[in-house]
Amino acid sequence: MGLLTELRDSISRVTDRLFSASEPKRIGIYGPPNAGKTTLANRIARDWTGDAVGPESHIPHETRRARRKENVTIERNGRTVTIDVVDTPGVTTKVDYNEFLEHDMEKDDAIRRSREATEGVAEAMHWLREDVDGVIYVLDSSTDPFTQVNTMLIGIIESQDLPVLILANKVDLEDSNIQRIANAFPQHETIPLSALEGDNMDEVYDKIAEYFG
Amino acid sequence: MPHQCTNCGKTFDDGSKEMLSGCPDCGGNKFQFRPKRATQTERDSTESASTPRAVSPSQPSDDDQPTTERTEGTEQSDRSGVTGTAAKAGASVREWVGNRTSNPDETDEATDTPASDDVTIEPTDDPSDEPQSVSAADDASERPAEGESADLDSSDTPDSIDSVDSIENTEDRAQASARSDVVTPEELSAAEQRPTPEQPSDADGTVVEPKSDDRPDLSDLREELNDQFESIKILNPGQYELNLMELYDRDEYIISLREDGRYVIEVPDRWQNTGRDE
Repeated sequence: MGLLTELRDSISRVTDRLFSASEPKRIGIYGPPNAGKTTLANRIARDWTGDAVGPESHIPHETRRARRKENVTIERNGRTVTIDVVDTPGVTTKVDYNEFLEHDMEKDDAIRRSREATEGVAEAMHWLREDVDGVIYVLDSSTDPFTQVNTMLIGIIESQDLPVLILANKVDLEDSNIQRIANAFPQHETIPLSALEGDNMDEVYDKIAEYFG
Repeated sequence: MPHQCTNCGKTFDDGSKEMLSGCPDCGGNKFQFRPKRATQTERDSTESASTPRAVSPSQPSDDDQPTTERTEGTEQSDRSGVTGTAAKAGASVREWVGNRTSNPDETDEATDTPASDDVTIEPTDDPSDEPQSVSAADDASERPAEGESADLDSSDTPDSIDSVDSIENTEDRAQASARSDVVTPEELSAAEQRPTPEQPSDADGTVVEPKSDDRPDLSDLREELNDQFESIKILNPGQYELNLMELYDRDEYIISLREDGRYVIEVPDRWQNTGRDE
Protein backbone atom coordinates (compact mmCIF):
# COMPACT_ATOMS: atom_id res chain seq x y z
CA MET A 1 0.00 0.00 0.00
CA GLY A 2 2.70 2.41 1.05
CA LEU A 3 4.71 1.29 -1.90
CA LEU A 4 1.79 1.98 -4.19
CA THR A 5 1.26 5.54 -3.00
CA GLU A 6 4.94 6.16 -3.24
CA LEU A 7 4.91 4.87 -6.79
CA ARG A 8 1.91 7.01 -7.63
CA ASP A 9 3.55 10.06 -6.12
CA SER A 10 6.67 9.57 -8.09
CA ILE A 11 4.71 9.07 -11.29
CA SER A 12 2.76 12.26 -10.70
CA ARG A 13 5.99 14.09 -10.02
CA VAL A 14 7.33 12.91 -13.34
CA THR A 15 4.18 13.92 -15.18
CA ASP A 16 4.18 17.28 -13.42
CA ARG A 17 7.64 17.86 -14.63
CA LEU A 18 6.68 16.79 -18.14
CA PHE A 19 3.79 19.15 -18.40
CA SER A 20 5.22 22.18 -16.76
CA ALA A 21 8.85 22.55 -17.55
CA SER A 22 9.58 24.28 -14.28
CA GLU A 23 7.99 25.76 -11.19
CA PRO A 24 5.28 28.24 -12.06
CA LYS A 25 6.71 31.72 -12.26
CA ARG A 26 5.59 34.07 -9.57
CA ILE A 27 4.27 37.21 -11.18
CA GLY A 28 3.74 40.23 -8.96
CA ILE A 29 1.02 42.71 -9.84
CA TYR A 30 2.45 46.05 -8.80
CA GLY A 31 1.46 49.67 -9.06
CA PRO A 32 0.23 52.67 -7.11
CA PRO A 33 -2.93 52.46 -4.98
CA ASN A 34 -6.22 52.33 -6.83
CA ALA A 35 -4.69 51.45 -10.19
CA GLY A 36 -6.88 48.37 -10.46
CA LYS A 37 -4.42 45.69 -9.43
CA THR A 38 -6.92 43.58 -7.55
CA THR A 39 -9.51 44.00 -10.25
CA LEU A 40 -6.98 42.68 -12.73
CA ALA A 41 -5.88 39.85 -10.43
CA ASN A 42 -9.49 38.84 -9.95
CA ARG A 43 -10.14 39.04 -13.67
CA ILE A 44 -7.17 36.79 -14.42
CA ALA A 45 -8.01 34.36 -11.63
CA ARG A 46 -11.68 34.17 -12.55
CA ASP A 47 -10.96 33.72 -16.23
CA TRP A 48 -8.60 30.80 -15.67
CA THR A 49 -9.47 29.25 -12.31
CA GLY A 50 -12.98 30.40 -11.52
CA ASP A 51 -12.00 31.92 -8.16
CA ALA A 52 -11.31 35.46 -7.11
CA VAL A 53 -8.19 36.70 -5.37
CA GLY A 54 -9.57 39.34 -3.05
CA PRO A 55 -12.11 42.10 -2.55
CA GLU A 56 -11.98 45.14 -4.81
CA SER A 57 -12.79 48.63 -3.69
CA HIS A 58 -12.71 52.18 -4.93
CA ILE A 59 -11.22 53.18 -1.58
CA PRO A 60 -7.43 53.18 -1.86
CA HIS A 61 -5.42 50.58 0.03
CA GLU A 62 -8.16 47.97 0.05
CA THR A 63 -5.44 45.38 -0.45
CA ARG A 64 -3.13 45.62 2.52
CA ARG A 65 -1.61 42.18 2.39
CA ALA A 66 -0.14 40.49 -0.64
CA ARG A 67 -2.49 37.78 -1.86
CA ARG A 68 -1.45 34.92 -4.01
CA LYS A 69 -3.34 32.81 -6.47
CA GLU A 70 -1.25 29.80 -7.34
CA ASN A 71 -1.13 27.74 -10.48
CA VAL A 72 -3.09 29.96 -12.78
CA THR A 73 -2.77 28.17 -16.10
CA ILE A 74 -3.28 30.39 -19.11
CA GLU A 75 -3.76 28.81 -22.52
CA ARG A 76 -2.52 30.70 -25.53
CA ASN A 77 -2.26 29.39 -29.07
CA GLY A 78 -2.10 25.77 -27.98
CA ARG A 79 0.54 26.44 -25.33
CA THR A 80 -0.04 26.75 -21.64
CA VAL A 81 1.67 29.06 -19.21
CA THR A 82 1.31 28.47 -15.49
CA ILE A 83 1.95 31.38 -13.16
CA ASP A 84 1.37 32.27 -9.54
CA VAL A 85 -0.34 35.63 -9.45
CA VAL A 86 0.63 37.82 -6.49
CA ASP A 87 -1.66 40.77 -5.93
CA THR A 88 0.30 43.32 -3.91
CA PRO A 89 -0.76 46.35 -1.89
CA GLY A 90 -0.49 49.66 -3.72
CA VAL A 91 2.90 51.26 -3.31
CA THR A 92 3.08 54.85 -2.16
CA THR A 93 5.44 57.12 -0.26
CA LYS A 94 2.80 58.68 1.96
CA VAL A 95 -0.12 57.19 3.82
CA ASP A 96 -2.50 59.48 5.65
CA TYR A 97 -5.64 58.37 7.43
CA ASN A 98 -7.34 61.64 6.48
CA GLU A 99 -7.61 60.26 2.98
CA PHE A 100 -9.89 57.51 4.28
CA LEU A 101 -12.06 59.85 6.30
CA GLU A 102 -13.37 61.18 2.99
CA HIS A 103 -14.82 57.72 2.38
CA ASP A 104 -17.09 57.85 5.41
CA MET A 105 -14.78 55.93 7.64
CA GLU A 106 -14.49 56.33 11.40
CA LYS A 107 -11.24 57.87 12.53
CA ASP A 108 -10.09 54.76 14.40
CA ASP A 109 -10.78 52.60 11.38
CA ALA A 110 -9.02 55.07 9.12
CA ILE A 111 -5.95 55.07 11.34
CA ARG A 112 -5.89 51.30 11.44
CA ARG A 113 -6.30 51.10 7.70
CA SER A 114 -3.50 53.55 7.31
CA ARG A 115 -1.20 51.49 9.49
CA GLU A 116 -2.06 48.31 7.66
CA ALA A 117 -1.55 50.02 4.33
CA THR A 118 1.92 51.07 5.43
CA GLU A 119 2.71 47.53 6.45
CA GLY A 120 1.37 46.47 3.07
CA VAL A 121 3.79 48.73 1.22
CA ALA A 122 6.65 47.26 3.24
CA GLU A 123 5.48 43.81 2.30
CA ALA A 124 5.12 44.68 -1.36
CA MET A 125 8.64 46.08 -1.48
CA HIS A 126 9.91 42.99 0.28
CA TRP A 127 8.23 40.70 -2.24
CA LEU A 128 9.70 42.69 -5.05
CA ARG A 129 13.15 42.03 -3.78
CA GLU A 130 12.82 38.42 -2.79
CA ASP A 131 9.95 36.64 -4.33
CA VAL A 132 8.84 37.61 -7.80
CA ASP A 133 10.04 36.37 -11.16
CA GLY A 134 8.22 38.96 -13.21
CA VAL A 135 6.05 42.03 -12.78
CA ILE A 136 2.78 43.20 -14.21
CA TYR A 137 2.83 46.93 -13.56
CA VAL A 138 -0.65 48.39 -13.49
CA LEU A 139 -1.29 52.08 -13.98
CA ASP A 140 -4.51 54.04 -13.98
CA SER A 141 -4.37 55.57 -17.46
CA SER A 142 -6.55 58.48 -16.36
CA THR A 143 -3.87 59.76 -13.99
CA ASP A 144 -0.40 61.16 -14.43
CA PRO A 145 2.17 58.37 -14.61
CA PHE A 146 5.13 60.67 -13.95
CA THR A 147 5.38 60.03 -10.23
CA GLN A 148 8.23 59.29 -7.90
CA VAL A 149 6.71 55.93 -7.00
CA ASN A 150 6.36 54.79 -10.61
CA THR A 151 9.81 55.94 -11.57
CA MET A 152 11.38 54.31 -8.56
CA LEU A 153 9.55 51.01 -8.89
CA ILE A 154 10.16 50.66 -12.60
CA GLY A 155 13.78 51.52 -11.91
CA ILE A 156 14.05 48.79 -9.29
CA ILE A 157 12.34 46.29 -11.56
CA GLU A 158 14.71 47.13 -14.39
CA SER A 159 17.72 46.91 -12.13
CA GLN A 160 16.59 43.41 -11.15
CA ASP A 161 16.27 42.46 -14.81
CA LEU A 162 12.74 41.26 -14.17
CA PRO A 163 10.46 40.97 -17.17
CA VAL A 164 7.83 43.67 -16.83
CA LEU A 165 4.56 44.22 -18.60
CA ILE A 166 3.11 47.72 -18.29
CA LEU A 167 -0.66 47.87 -18.36
CA ALA A 168 -2.58 51.07 -18.94
CA ASN A 169 -5.73 50.22 -17.05
CA LYS A 170 -9.11 51.95 -16.90
CA VAL A 171 -9.31 52.73 -20.60
CA ASP A 172 -13.08 52.78 -20.10
CA LEU A 173 -12.71 56.11 -18.30
CA GLU A 174 -13.14 59.30 -20.23
CA ASP A 175 -9.85 60.84 -19.10
CA SER A 176 -7.88 57.77 -20.03
CA ASN A 177 -4.68 58.65 -21.88
CA ILE A 178 -2.72 55.63 -23.03
CA GLN A 179 -0.14 57.64 -24.90
CA ARG A 180 0.85 59.47 -21.75
CA ILE A 181 1.79 56.16 -20.16
CA ALA A 182 3.61 54.98 -23.25
CA ASN A 183 5.56 58.25 -23.18
CA ALA A 184 6.43 57.83 -19.53
CA PHE A 185 8.00 54.42 -20.07
CA PRO A 186 9.12 54.37 -23.68
CA GLN A 187 11.52 51.52 -23.00
CA HIS A 188 8.59 49.19 -22.34
CA GLU A 189 5.57 48.09 -24.24
CA THR A 190 2.30 49.52 -22.93
CA ILE A 191 -0.85 47.41 -23.18
CA PRO A 192 -4.18 49.19 -22.77
CA LEU A 193 -7.03 47.43 -21.01
CA SER A 194 -9.99 47.77 -18.76
CA ALA A 195 -9.75 45.09 -16.12
CA LEU A 196 -13.17 46.10 -14.87
CA GLU A 197 -14.89 45.77 -18.23
CA GLY A 198 -12.66 43.01 -19.52
CA ASP A 199 -11.60 45.09 -22.53
CA ASN A 200 -8.55 43.89 -24.44
CA MET A 201 -7.87 41.01 -22.06
CA ASP A 202 -6.95 38.77 -24.97
CA GLU A 203 -3.94 40.87 -25.75
CA VAL A 204 -3.05 40.98 -22.05
CA TYR A 205 -3.04 37.17 -21.93
CA ASP A 206 -1.01 37.00 -25.13
CA LYS A 207 1.57 39.26 -23.59
CA ILE A 208 1.57 37.39 -20.27
CA ALA A 209 2.30 34.20 -22.17
CA GLU A 210 4.97 35.93 -24.21
CA TYR A 211 6.71 37.67 -21.31
CA PHE A 212 6.39 35.08 -18.58
CA GLY A 213 6.02 31.82 -20.43
CA MET B 1 35.13 89.60 -4.57
CA PRO B 2 35.90 86.70 -2.35
CA HIS B 3 32.51 85.03 -2.44
CA GLN B 4 30.92 83.70 -5.55
CA CYS B 5 27.58 82.03 -5.93
CA THR B 6 28.29 78.58 -7.35
CA ASN B 7 24.95 78.62 -9.08
CA CYS B 8 24.84 81.85 -11.04
CA GLY B 9 28.36 83.13 -10.51
CA LYS B 10 27.35 86.36 -8.82
CA THR B 11 30.10 87.71 -6.63
CA PHE B 12 29.91 89.29 -3.22
CA ASP B 13 32.21 91.26 -1.03
CA ASP B 14 33.67 89.54 1.90
CA GLY B 15 31.15 89.40 4.69
CA SER B 16 28.35 90.69 2.56
CA LYS B 17 25.10 90.39 4.42
CA GLU B 18 22.99 89.67 1.39
CA MET B 19 24.57 86.27 1.12
CA LEU B 20 23.14 85.29 4.47
CA SER B 21 19.70 85.11 2.93
CA GLY B 22 20.88 83.25 -0.13
CA CYS B 23 21.93 84.62 -3.45
CA PRO B 24 19.55 87.46 -4.26
CA ASP B 25 19.73 86.60 -7.93
CA CYS B 26 19.11 82.91 -8.09
CA GLY B 27 18.35 81.97 -4.50
CA GLY B 28 21.34 79.64 -4.41
CA ASN B 29 22.90 79.01 -1.04
CA LYS B 30 26.23 77.61 -2.11
CA PHE B 31 29.08 80.05 -2.34
CA GLN B 32 32.71 79.50 -2.91
CA PHE B 33 35.33 81.56 -1.25
CA ARG B 34 37.82 83.09 -3.65
CA PRO B 35 40.40 85.28 -1.99
CA LYS B 36 42.02 87.60 -4.45
CA ARG B 37 45.45 86.12 -4.07
CA ALA B 38 44.15 82.60 -4.47
CA THR B 39 42.52 83.37 -7.77
CA GLN B 40 45.82 84.66 -9.00
CA THR B 41 47.70 81.61 -7.81
CA GLU B 42 45.12 79.39 -9.32
CA ARG B 43 46.17 80.41 -12.75
CA ASP B 44 49.84 79.90 -11.96
CA SER B 45 49.47 76.54 -10.37
CA THR B 46 47.26 74.70 -12.82
CA GLU B 47 50.08 72.30 -13.64
CA SER B 48 50.38 71.25 -10.06
CA ALA B 49 46.67 70.86 -9.72
CA SER B 50 46.82 67.10 -9.94
CA THR B 51 49.55 66.47 -7.46
CA PRO B 52 48.58 64.61 -4.35
CA ARG B 53 49.00 67.77 -2.40
CA ALA B 54 46.14 69.33 -4.25
CA VAL B 55 43.94 66.57 -2.99
CA SER B 56 44.43 67.49 0.61
CA PRO B 57 41.07 66.79 2.21
CA SER B 58 41.85 69.24 4.93
CA GLN B 59 41.12 72.09 2.60
CA PRO B 60 39.28 74.52 4.78
CA SER B 61 36.16 75.78 3.24
CA ASP B 62 34.60 78.89 4.60
CA ASP B 63 31.58 78.44 2.49
CA ASP B 64 29.51 75.67 1.19
CA GLN B 65 31.09 72.94 -0.85
CA PRO B 66 30.82 72.66 -4.57
CA THR B 67 28.57 70.28 -6.32
CA THR B 68 29.55 66.70 -7.01
CA GLU B 69 29.19 67.14 -10.73
CA ARG B 70 31.84 69.72 -10.69
CA THR B 71 34.27 67.47 -8.92
CA GLU B 72 33.65 64.74 -11.38
CA GLY B 73 34.24 67.11 -14.23
CA THR B 74 37.58 68.15 -12.93
CA GLU B 75 38.52 64.60 -12.21
CA GLN B 76 38.04 63.74 -15.80
CA SER B 77 40.34 66.45 -16.90
CA ASP B 78 42.84 65.29 -14.31
CA ARG B 79 42.77 61.79 -15.64
CA SER B 80 43.22 62.84 -19.21
CA GLY B 81 46.02 65.20 -18.41
CA VAL B 82 48.13 63.31 -15.94
CA THR B 83 49.35 59.75 -16.07
CA GLY B 84 51.43 59.60 -12.92
CA THR B 85 50.39 57.04 -10.35
CA ALA B 86 50.36 59.65 -7.66
CA ALA B 87 47.83 61.61 -9.59
CA LYS B 88 45.72 58.52 -10.04
CA ALA B 89 45.88 57.80 -6.37
CA GLY B 90 44.94 61.35 -5.73
CA ALA B 91 41.98 61.10 -8.02
CA SER B 92 40.72 57.95 -6.35
CA VAL B 93 41.10 59.44 -2.92
CA ARG B 94 39.21 62.43 -4.10
CA GLU B 95 36.55 60.17 -5.48
CA TRP B 96 36.39 58.29 -2.24
CA VAL B 97 36.15 61.41 -0.19
CA GLY B 98 33.56 62.79 -2.54
CA ASN B 99 31.43 59.68 -2.39
CA ARG B 100 31.81 59.21 1.26
CA THR B 101 31.05 62.61 2.61
CA SER B 102 29.03 64.04 -0.20
CA ASN B 103 30.75 67.30 0.29
CA PRO B 104 33.56 66.53 -2.02
CA ASP B 105 36.83 68.26 -1.80
CA GLU B 106 36.79 71.12 -4.16
CA THR B 107 39.20 70.26 -6.87
CA ASP B 108 39.06 73.66 -8.38
CA GLU B 109 39.58 75.13 -5.02
CA ALA B 110 42.26 72.60 -4.30
CA THR B 111 44.44 74.70 -6.48
CA ASP B 112 43.81 77.41 -3.98
CA THR B 113 45.17 75.36 -1.15
CA PRO B 114 48.72 76.59 -1.45
CA ALA B 115 47.42 80.09 -1.43
CA SER B 116 45.33 79.64 1.66
CA ASP B 117 48.23 77.94 3.37
CA ASP B 118 50.41 80.93 2.75
CA VAL B 119 47.80 83.24 3.89
CA THR B 120 48.05 82.70 7.60
CA ILE B 121 48.07 85.99 9.33
CA GLU B 122 51.04 86.66 11.50
CA PRO B 123 50.05 88.24 14.73
CA THR B 124 53.16 90.38 14.65
CA ASP B 125 51.70 92.30 11.79
CA ASP B 126 49.64 94.70 13.67
CA PRO B 127 46.99 95.67 11.22
CA SER B 128 45.94 98.69 13.20
CA ASP B 129 49.38 100.24 12.83
CA GLU B 130 50.28 99.49 9.31
CA PRO B 131 47.73 100.73 6.85
CA GLN B 132 47.62 104.26 8.08
CA SER B 133 47.77 105.38 4.51
CA VAL B 134 44.25 104.20 3.98
CA SER B 135 43.04 106.35 6.76
CA ALA B 136 39.70 107.61 5.64
CA ALA B 137 38.07 108.92 8.75
CA ASP B 138 35.23 106.46 8.74
CA ASP B 139 37.64 103.61 8.14
CA ALA B 140 39.59 104.48 11.19
CA SER B 141 36.58 103.92 13.35
CA GLU B 142 36.42 100.37 12.10
CA ARG B 143 40.05 99.56 12.61
CA PRO B 144 39.71 97.35 15.67
CA ALA B 145 37.02 95.37 14.00
CA GLU B 146 39.25 94.80 11.06
CA GLY B 147 42.01 93.42 13.22
CA GLU B 148 39.54 91.06 14.73
CA SER B 149 38.44 89.96 11.32
CA ALA B 150 41.93 88.87 10.51
CA ASP B 151 41.82 86.47 13.43
CA LEU B 152 38.46 85.11 12.55
CA ASP B 153 39.05 84.58 8.91
CA SER B 154 42.66 83.80 8.46
CA SER B 155 42.49 83.15 4.76
CA ASP B 156 40.51 86.06 3.53
CA THR B 157 42.64 89.07 4.18
CA PRO B 158 46.07 88.38 2.79
CA ASP B 159 46.25 91.41 0.63
CA SER B 160 44.62 93.84 2.93
CA ILE B 161 47.68 93.73 5.12
CA ASP B 162 50.18 94.60 2.50
CA SER B 163 48.23 96.62 0.06
CA VAL B 164 44.92 98.05 0.89
CA ASP B 165 42.93 99.14 -2.03
CA SER B 166 39.40 100.29 -2.34
CA ILE B 167 38.01 96.82 -2.86
CA GLU B 168 39.36 95.55 0.39
CA ASN B 169 38.07 98.58 2.13
CA THR B 170 34.67 97.83 0.84
CA GLU B 171 34.97 94.29 2.00
CA ASP B 172 36.11 95.23 5.44
CA ARG B 173 33.27 97.63 5.78
CA ALA B 174 30.87 94.93 4.75
CA GLN B 175 32.47 92.55 7.20
CA ALA B 176 32.29 94.94 10.06
CA SER B 177 28.74 95.71 9.22
CA ALA B 178 27.88 92.04 8.99
CA ARG B 179 29.39 91.39 12.38
CA SER B 180 27.49 94.13 14.04
CA ASP B 181 24.07 93.19 12.78
CA VAL B 182 22.21 91.08 10.30
CA VAL B 183 20.47 92.42 7.29
CA THR B 184 17.01 93.64 8.06
CA PRO B 185 14.02 92.82 5.92
CA GLU B 186 13.70 96.50 5.11
CA GLU B 187 17.25 96.63 3.88
CA LEU B 188 16.72 93.60 1.75
CA SER B 189 13.52 94.85 0.20
CA ALA B 190 15.06 98.23 -0.34
CA ALA B 191 17.95 96.55 -2.05
CA GLU B 192 15.63 94.48 -4.14
CA GLN B 193 13.83 97.53 -5.45
CA ARG B 194 17.04 99.16 -6.48
CA PRO B 195 17.93 98.11 -10.00
CA THR B 196 21.56 97.12 -10.08
CA PRO B 197 24.02 96.22 -12.77
CA GLU B 198 25.48 92.75 -13.19
CA GLN B 199 28.75 93.68 -11.58
CA PRO B 200 28.96 94.09 -7.85
CA SER B 201 28.52 97.63 -6.79
CA ASP B 202 31.09 98.97 -4.43
CA ALA B 203 28.71 100.51 -2.00
CA ASP B 204 28.05 97.87 0.59
CA GLY B 205 28.33 94.75 -1.45
CA THR B 206 24.65 95.06 -2.18
CA VAL B 207 24.12 93.37 -5.47
CA VAL B 208 20.49 92.52 -5.52
CA GLU B 209 18.27 92.07 -8.46
CA PRO B 210 14.52 92.04 -8.13
CA LYS B 211 13.44 88.55 -7.37
CA SER B 212 10.51 87.60 -5.25
CA ASP B 213 10.44 83.84 -5.75
CA ASP B 214 10.58 81.50 -2.82
CA ARG B 215 13.88 79.84 -2.34
CA PRO B 216 13.93 76.96 -4.77
CA ASP B 217 16.17 74.77 -2.64
CA LEU B 218 13.54 74.08 -0.03
CA SER B 219 12.08 71.22 -1.99
CA ASP B 220 15.54 69.81 -2.57
CA LEU B 221 16.28 70.07 1.08
CA ARG B 222 13.04 68.36 1.92
CA GLU B 223 13.89 65.57 -0.45
CA GLU B 224 17.29 65.20 1.08
CA LEU B 225 15.78 64.94 4.53
CA ASN B 226 13.30 62.38 3.31
CA ASP B 227 16.15 60.34 1.97
CA GLN B 228 17.76 60.27 5.34
CA PHE B 229 15.05 58.68 7.40
CA GLU B 230 14.83 54.98 7.71
CA SER B 231 12.22 52.97 5.97
CA ILE B 232 9.10 54.21 7.72
CA LYS B 233 8.64 57.55 9.39
CA ILE B 234 5.64 57.93 11.67
CA LEU B 235 4.50 61.54 11.50
CA ASN B 236 1.43 61.00 13.64
CA PRO B 237 -0.75 58.02 14.37
CA GLY B 238 -2.14 57.05 11.01
CA GLN B 239 0.26 59.25 9.05
CA TYR B 240 3.34 57.70 7.58
CA GLU B 241 6.08 58.52 5.16
CA LEU B 242 7.81 55.64 3.49
CA ASN B 243 11.27 55.41 2.07
CA LEU B 244 10.76 52.89 -0.69
CA MET B 245 14.43 52.36 -1.45
CA GLU B 246 15.12 51.69 2.19
CA LEU B 247 12.23 49.26 2.42
CA TYR B 248 13.44 47.55 -0.68
CA ASP B 249 17.06 47.40 0.40
CA ARG B 250 16.70 45.98 3.86
CA ASP B 251 17.05 42.29 4.54
CA GLU B 252 14.44 42.08 7.22
CA TYR B 253 10.99 43.34 6.59
CA ILE B 254 8.51 45.14 8.76
CA ILE B 255 5.42 43.04 9.18
CA SER B 256 3.62 44.95 11.87
CA LEU B 257 3.66 48.51 13.14
CA ARG B 258 2.64 49.25 16.70
CA GLU B 259 0.95 52.33 18.04
CA ASP B 260 3.91 53.25 20.21
CA GLY B 261 6.29 53.45 17.30
CA ARG B 262 7.69 49.97 17.76
CA TYR B 263 7.41 47.45 15.01
CA VAL B 264 7.74 43.77 14.41
CA ILE B 265 10.13 42.57 11.79
CA GLU B 266 10.62 39.29 10.08
CA VAL B 267 14.26 38.40 9.88
CA PRO B 268 15.61 36.69 6.82
CA ASP B 269 16.07 32.93 6.89
CA ARG B 270 19.80 33.15 6.74
CA TRP B 271 19.88 35.00 10.04
CA GLN B 272 18.20 32.19 11.89
CA ASN B 273 18.83 29.01 9.97
CA THR B 274 22.02 27.97 11.68
CA GLY B 275 21.59 24.28 12.22
CA ARG B 276 18.29 24.07 10.48
CA ASP B 277 19.73 22.04 7.69
CA GLU B 278 21.71 19.78 9.92
